[in-house]
Amino acid sequence: MFDFDATLPIMALQFLLLTYILNLVFYKPLTKALDERDAYVRENEVDARERLSKAEKLVKEYELQIAGARRESQSILEQAQADAKNINAQKTAEAQQQVQSEREKAAQEIQQQKEAAMQSLEQQVDALSRQILEKLLGAELVR
Amino acid sequence: MEILDGLTVINSFTLAELEVGEHFLWKIGNFSVHGQVLITSWLVIGLLVLASVAASQNIQRIPSGIQNFMEYALEFIRDLAKSQLGEKEYRPWVPFIGTLFLFIFVSNWGGALVPWKLIELPSGELAAPTNDINTTVALALLTSLAYFYAGLSKKGLGYFKGYVEPIPILLPIKVLEDFTKPLSLSFRLFGNIVADELVVGVFVLLVPLFVPLPLMALGLFTSAIQALIFATLAGAYIHEALEGHGEEEHG
Amino acid sequence: MDINSASVIAAALAIGLAAIGPGIGQGNASGQAVAGIARQPEAEGKIRGTLLLTLAFMESLTIYGLVVALVLLFANPFA
Repeated sequence: MFDFDATLPIMALQFLLLTYILNLVFYKPLTKALDERDAYVRENEVDARERLSKAEKLVKEYELQIAGARRESQSILEQAQADAKNINAQKTAEAQQQVQSEREKAAQEIQQQKEAAMQSLEQQVDALSRQILEKLLGAELVR
Repeated sequence: MEILDGLTVINSFTLAELEVGEHFLWKIGNFSVHGQVLITSWLVIGLLVLASVAASQNIQRIPSGIQNFMEYALEFIRDLAKSQLGEKEYRPWVPFIGTLFLFIFVSNWGGALVPWKLIELPSGELAAPTNDINTTVALALLTSLAYFYAGLSKKGLGYFKGYVEPIPILLPIKVLEDFTKPLSLSFRLFGNIVADELVVGVFVLLVPLFVPLPLMALGLFTSAIQALIFATLAGAYIHEALEGHGEEEHG
Repeated sequence: MDINSASVIAAALAIGLAAIGPGIGQGNASGQAVAGIARQPEAEGKIRGTLLLTLAFMESLTIYGLVVALVLLFANPFA
């Protein structure tokens, strides 16, 4: 069980040979493959990160543009609202003026008609009073 | 095995069936070699190389199948080395620590999962390569050489100054440590694997069906942990040699 | 007592005694780990990993006893 013989050096040589062969066909190529994959992944990651930052920059830019456009539209809207208010006020004032003037005209007409009616009424009053006087006093006395 | 011949009590008890210490000996010149260990180690090495070649012959950016699995293994090994050696110095040591882990892990699990008993050998039986003390001692000695190499290549001969710092009284202990490190590494791995196989073997002798299954599962778990520990400790020792200050001491 | 029976007794004692210390240590470590998990459940994964590694380190002390026992039984230098 504990007998040492030529198996020992043969085994040692075999092991060194195995190390050498495995270094050639296992460790070197697969380590290279692993490192290359690491490099590839890292490269892709860097690339992707770059793209992401670029995209984020674009998004920020577009957001700025959108904000600008929104502000513009807001100002246009406000302008339009102000314009509309102005026009509204103007139109209202005009209409009120027109109404005022029409009302005045109407009032004048009414006044005129009133005066005319008063005049005709006075004449009629005169005539009627004359007739009444004539009837009461007789025609000779009146004249 | 000589002692067992004298122990009639144990001999009548079926321990002999476990074939502890039997080897399938080959002769190469004047040297004898444990054939069953080499055969399984070749199978393990072949499996590892095949899996690696299959994983790396057609590398895709998006991994699938065997490539995915081996990349998972490689990342595990890299994390292991990184946690022991630090971000700066782990890269050149990944092959050594990783191969330690993979070889021990595949050996342990191969020994536990493959029914080697079905293959008849003239003597001895096929089992995990780490079941043999030669394998574990070889791996442990290589680890020692690796951390000496790490210290010497990093600091030159100044590495040996680390033996008398902070106080020279500790010099014998530090020299002793250099011997206990490979000893404990090899005996830990060897003992765990042999203990697993012995326990499973004894249980199979006592109750052949179903009862050994939880123990086998425990064995799988332990052998995986042992592979992890061997690799972790190798990393820790190398790191210690690179740093120079040996304040950390593990079993 | 001859050397063989002494070896068998020594092997049994080796593994039995070697199991005491690590047993106490493992119980201690596991208890502390459970307390740690109870105090900080989000650190469970890390604690579990460290605990398993630590337990294996302690386990190896028993394994050294086992190795000594195996040496005594199967590769006794004095028999």
